Amino acid sequence: MDATATPAGTLSVAQDAPRTGTLLDMHSVFGRIFNMDTATKAIQIALMVVVGLLLIGIIGTLIKKLSGRRMDSRTGGFLVKTIQYAGFALILVNAFKIANIDLSALLGAAGIAGIALGFAAQTSVSNFISGIFLMYEKTFAEGDVVTVDDISGVVYSIDALSVKLRMFDNRFVRIPNETLIKTNVINVTRFPLRRLNIKLTVTYDTDIERAKAILLETAAANQGVLRKPDPFFQVQSFGENGIELFLGVWFANPDWEQANNGMYIDIKKNFDAAGIAFAYPTMTIYSRKQGS
Amino acid sequence: MWRQYELPKSEGTRIHRVGKTVLFVAVETAGEGDVLAAMISYPDTSIPAQRRKGKETMTVPPLDSPGWARYFMGSSANYDIVPGYPEMPVCISLREPFYLPPAADLRGWIFSHVEARIVVGGSTVASYPLTRPYKTLYGIPEAGIVCRHDEADFLASDEPVIDALHEDPGLVAHPVRLRNTSSDPVLVNELCVYGEQLSILGNDTRMQSERLLFIFSASGVRMSLEGQTDLPAGWTQIARPRVSGEERFIVRSIELFRAMTRM
Repeated sequence: MDATATPAGTLSVAQDAPRTGTLLDMHSVFGRIFNMDTATKAIQIALMVVVGLLLIGIIGTLIKKLSGRRMDSRTGGFLVKTIQYAGFALILVNAFKIANIDLSALLGAAGIAGIALGFAAQTSVSNFISGIFLMYEKTFAEGDVVTVDDISGVVYSIDALSVKLRMFDNRFVRIPNETLIKTNVINVTRFPLRRLNIKLTVTYDTDIERAKAILLETAAANQGVLRKPDPFFQVQSFGENGIELFLGVWFANPDWEQANNGMYIDIKKNFDAAGIAFAYPTMTIYSRKQGS
Repeated sequence: MWRQYELPKSEGTRIHRVGKTVLFVAVETAGEGDVLAAMISYPDTSIPAQRRKGKETMTVPPLDSPGWARYFMGSSANYDIVPGYPEMPVCISLREPFYLPPAADLRGWIFSHVEARIVVGGSTVASYPLTRPYKTLYGIPEAGIVCRHDEADFLASDEPVIDALHEDPGLVAHPVRLRNTSSDPVLVNELCVYGEQLSILGNDTRMQSERLLFIFSASGVRMSLEGQTDLPAGWTQIARPRVSGEERFIVRSIELFRAMTRM
């Protein structure tokens, strides 16, 4: 570079310019910061950041596409996020290295800051780690119907810190991953079919064989009831108020709602037609006259 | 039955009878196109046949009945009714189960019900099962497949036995070969057929699929196609397979892997 090329003087190079040259007066603050060396490093960092981000983007997209076909969305999302964060960390470390910034001091400071942050973010960290356990357990996937405590809904999204459910009345619920680890989670649609358990109490004057035949006929006539596994009938007990009967019928998950209603309606209709009465809480009182 | 029809524009509701099942088709004019209305009616099985006295009567349902399904036809003036296998696999339960001894190789026939598809301009607009569609499980509750339920006799014969029981035009005959490669006798009580891999071949009165091979081994049962059977003169391919065997094999392998790993 020609040291006398700048007429205005502001960009003139001082006599004691370093070997890479400077654009500003070395004695000024800006001159000491914005010299040729710094500019080269800035360009290197910018290039590294751009190329690094591009690479992260390409790898992330590829993994997203591959995982979409072979993994559930939770595992795929987690993998993409992990790769993204690792990539960002790598870019950051490289940027510091190019800029000749000593990381040990920074890491020392980060350690102290980390402790402070750790205390502040322990809930988030707990949720994140719980999320990893949930991911490995594969308790549910997006689209499954789950019950957590008293909340039932369709799994809407599975994220790093929480799981979102869409309840059946169209309310949106966010459940922290930590809660899911601590509590009982029922996945209603994990298996392709589900049994409807119908418990009935009929009066003591009911012919049990007749009641059984009607229940099994009702199940056979219901289009949603699976032919196999067979419907299951059991006389459970002679209860306080009547004879307690049990009927278990299997439905494919998508047919659950319609077939469930159909079964109850048909049982009521068929029992009414056959003159079988449901038992209500009753009490038989015997009175004895004095002297009798 | 399985052919093209013009829209019943001036004849009210058209009745297509397939065995004891009836498919009603009507047309309504809507704007610049027609709307095809269709409804299926199954025989009432709640009354035993011997108790049904006199000639059975059929009532054509009014067009405001909720059972009708409507499809916009656009400018098409006709529709086809074609046979097709159900979307889901069909689990054919044998009325008389039997044991197949080790190393046995048995040939025979089973039958299953097809669906009636209404096709307009090359696209299927509706598909109706020709018997009341019940479902069943093939396999175990944790990992089985929900299938369409069907019942049939196993006819241990090289030639299809077409008797009064199998004259239903909604039945398709499957030539089958059963092999037991395990060292124990296996109970053959149900056979699961993946219709999406099969063609329907037939003439005016009968339909049949390719020969199916069921191999019973220690690890379970596997269905595959054993190849094209010799077709008598005058038979044509009425319906093509929806997927190739290779495609289905790959898809099923992935499904199995996913079911096992939940990935």
